Amino acid sequence: MGSLLDKLGWRKFVGHEYPAHTGEPVLARDIRRYALAIDDDNPIFFDEAAAKAGRYGGLTAPLNYISWAVGVPGAEKRTKDLGEDGLSSFVGVPDIPGAWSLGWVRGGEELEFFKPVHVNDRVTVRGRVTGVTEKIGKSGTLIFVSSEFTYTNQNDEMLAKHVVTMIASPRKEQAQ
Amino acid sequence: MASQVYYDDVSVGQEIPSLTKDVNTVNILMYVAVVWLMDRIHFDSPYAVKRRGLPDVVAPGNMAGDYYAQLLTGWAGEKGRLRKLGLQFRNFMVPGNVLTCGGRITAKTVEDGKGRVDLDLWIKNQDGVVCVPGKGVVELPIRAAQ
Repeated sequence: MGSLLDKLGWRKFVGHEYPAHTGEPVLARDIRRYALAIDDDNPIFFDEAAAKAGRYGGLTAPLNYISWAVGVPGAEKRTKDLGEDGLSSFVGVPDIPGAWSLGWVRGGEELEFFKPVHVNDRVTVRGRVTGVTEKIGKSGTLIFVSSEFTYTNQNDEMLAKHVVTMIASPRKEQAQ
Repeated sequence: MASQVYYDDVSVGQEIPSLTKDVNTVNILMYVAVVWLMDRIHFDSPYAVKRRGLPDVVAPGNMAGDYYAQLLTGWAGEKGRLRKLGLQFRNFMVPGNVLTCGGRITAKTVEDGKGRVDLDLWIKNQDGVVCVPGKGVVELPIRAAQ
């Protein structure tokens, strides 16, 4: 079996930068609802008085909210412009030609946290593709795309680093 | 609030108190709605099963990161903090799952006057299947330095 990666010509995208993107101010309502979704009852997510008395001096988001605090560029589309799977973009799937001809699953991720996201923060994400590799196995070809993202707030303080590895394979059944 | 855990009092090989999470469609819907994640495998069961060959709708993998953050932030207490988290997505978390999120200390070191604890992490379902194995690094206060 020939190299799918060679055919796609994706090796040259190592180092490819994602467009920098700054989110809108983070809403207390979104943080509160997010905490409900993950069923985390830490009062620093929803109790303003408790959060003020705590070490961060105000409401903060759950640490893993970091990527959502920016919003996923391109995710907000009219229904007719979404793919059948409901997706049009996803963190860690680079904007390179042919990306969505394959199915994507998330392989893994690594997060490093420096400071939490506060209500009203405007978070900026910058990212680049750090690796594109291929594994040809019995059940077909898998392509691994790793990207590294950094998140900063409006004061240029580093909030978090995030490495995401996405796995692509020719579309049949795939998920996540 | 649980009492503060100190670096001095933990040891390699020790398991930390686990956290139990129920996976259900309401929490999944809350999640995808608030973050605007329109991947149909998370809310459209016929699509997930018939078109994608999944057992049911599946929880977003991100939720595993939130469960670990809750586990480790809660354990580290007011004077500790979660520094690093690594996750591998192996098996789906589906509605009806009762997940046990746990961790075991694999190393402890002092870095820049702060206690660093490394952990192996797991999220297991009620059948003992590890859905999302992980690794964590937590900073803990040192008693002598207080």
